[in-house]
Amino acid sequence: MEDYRAPVEVQWSPYSWNGGTVLAVSGEDFSVIASDTRLSEGFQIYSRDFPKTYQLGDNVVLGSCGFQGDVTTLNKVIEAQLKIYDHIYQKKMSCESLAQLLSTILYTRRFFPYYTYNILAGLDSKGKGCVFSFDPIGSYEREVYRAGGSASSMLQPLLDNQIGLLNQTGVEKKPLSVEKAVQLVTDVFTSAAERDIYTGDGIRINIISADGVDIKEVPLRRD
Amino acid sequence: MANPFEYNGSAVVGMIGSGCVAIAADRRLGIQGQTIATTFDKIYPMNESLYIGFYGLATDALTVSSRLKYQLNLYQLRENRQIKPKAFMHMTSNLLYSKRFGYYFVEPVIAGLDPVTKDPYIATMDLIGCPMETKDFVVVGTCSEQLYGMCESLWKPDLEPEDLFETISQALMNAVDRDALSGWGAIVHVIEKDKVTTRTLKARMD
Amino acid sequence: MTEKYSFSLTTFSPSGKLVQIEYALQAVASGAPSVGIKAKNGIVIAVEKKQKSPLYENHSINKVEPINSKIGMVYSGMGPDFRLLVRKARKIAVKYEYTYHESIPVSQLVQKVAAVMQEYTQSGGVRPFGVSLLIAGFDEDKPYLYQCDPSGAYFAWKATAMGKNYINGKTFLEKRYNDDLEIDDAVHTAILTLKESFDGQMTEENIEIGVASSDGFSLLEPAVVKDYLAAIQ
Repeated sequence: MEDYRAPVEVQWSPYSWNGGTVLAVSGEDFSVIASDTRLSEGFQIYSRDFPKTYQLGDNVVLGSCGFQGDVTTLNKVIEAQLKIYDHIYQKKMSCESLAQLLSTILYTRRFFPYYTYNILAGLDSKGKGCVFSFDPIGSYEREVYRAGGSASSMLQPLLDNQIGLLNQTGVEKKPLSVEKAVQLVTDVFTSAAERDIYTGDGIRINIISADGVDIKEVPLRRD
Repeated sequence: MANPFEYNGSAVVGMIGSGCVAIAADRRLGIQGQTIATTFDKIYPMNESLYIGFYGLATDALTVSSRLKYQLNLYQLRENRQIKPKAFMHMTSNLLYSKRFGYYFVEPVIAGLDPVTKDPYIATMDLIGCPMETKDFVVVGTCSEQLYGMCESLWKPDLEPEDLFETISQALMNAVDRDALSGWGAIVHVIEKDKVTTRTLKARMD
Repeated sequence: MTEKYSFSLTTFSPSGKLVQIEYALQAVASGAPSVGIKAKNGIVIAVEKKQKSPLYENHSINKVEPINSKIGMVYSGMGPDFRLLVRKARKIAVKYEYTYHESIPVSQLVQKVAAVMQEYTQSGGVRPFGVSLLIAGFDEDKPYLYQCDPSGAYFAWKATAMGKNYINGKTFLEKRYNDDLEIDDAVHTAILTLKESFDGQMTEENIEIGVASSDGFSLLEPAVVKDYLAAIQ
């Protein structure tokens, strides 16, 4: 009699989830993009000081979170492309072009995607604040504000309400000031850190204007 | 029917104010993506100052609410007094736990004022009756994450009835607008010691 | 076939009385005296605990029993029957607390205990309880004193006496009672009421006193009872 063994299922996932939340808001002549600074997996915190925003030019910043391995790789690919662009055209890429480039890069991995949620913020070629949001395979859209990543579902409805003024009657739409934007970003991240374990430790806020990128750091709860 | 909690879609919030409580819910009844009704009640009055709302499978919510009403009527006849919200919460918890291994797919939100002291009270529990009492707000629903985000930012202590109404309405409406399964109008009850104000909200219907 | 038709022992007499219940009340009326007095801020229940023989170990007998942290009970009549009712009352109280997470109102406990007593006047193969109960407790912010009879009838009292010489006891209470007694005064009056019909020397060993107040129900320690007795002399 032969010995039979039950088949053993071996599973391995090429992805993991490292949490993180990014948030971008655009104004008339500026945009603000922020991320929390926690890097984690499951119940483990890998780092409390790991911002997920990457400056790609004088006035363009990418916020990217999800699987940190893919985020890093994606950044290398983007930077290589930017360098090539710079060599060929002897100029910095515009924010709109960068958004299109990112979409194309993401779509090249249509069937083995980069597990990343991306939001691009900066100034467009006319000097106006702009935000582009992406899904992991490159579908993208220009918007006024967008939250992405772990706590996005907590932040987005609040932005709808406070910036989009949805469900508010009898309020006049005033242009958003930098101060108001930064305050709002701080408040919503503080709220998200109360409830989302993958968001916390600190916020890195990038304020992008014609003068360049100004960075502000705010602490968040660390538990 | 992969997840019975997401079969009909719903959102319920409870909030405490200064000497008052509010409970609000959306009004959609769907069968997965298809909307069946836009005037469906998810909040049931238990007595003048006590309400219960359900997130989950609508048919179970109907059953649980009527079984609770039955138990509560017997209690109030037997004891000749109004039940305290906390005692009612334990009644609900016991009912759900009595079906520990073949549960009702509902998560209730209880909101009310103590009939004697008029203290505001809110609580929620999971589908087998594990209770959670809070001093600020409770949320359940297919858009609970959105609700948490809204409530955590908008709520503050000691809101007066009118401000509480505004807060809970904004929290609910903006949350359901980011959820495909809930929304299509909303209803809000604000319970004060001498009156209950019920309002239906005009919201986006998509 | 006879056992299939075991009718209730409590059967109406032609004149419409239930003689078994009257016999039960007889057993109560010949039992050790007990009193209950409602004070402004609590209730006192007290009972005579005289032993038939000096050879008994005194500590083995308890007549005032706590039902939960807020309610206590005492009886006149048959000790063993009382113990069964205590067990049932405790179970009723605990079950209520388990379902509603608040302690049972005295009226609810009395109603349920009375229902048990009534059941024993109508069921097959049983006899009525040979006890009357005094149930004392404090709920919300009010003191309550109830009496529960073998028939299942129950009454709320300001003050009452049961057991041997209860008529004298009640007459005494009618004279002594007023609406603004403090607990201390009520203990005093309770002792005096028992003393009315007490044979021999009253000591902290042969009476038992329980007090229900806003702090809950508790038995008075013999040393405390001794002090009260000393104050009377």
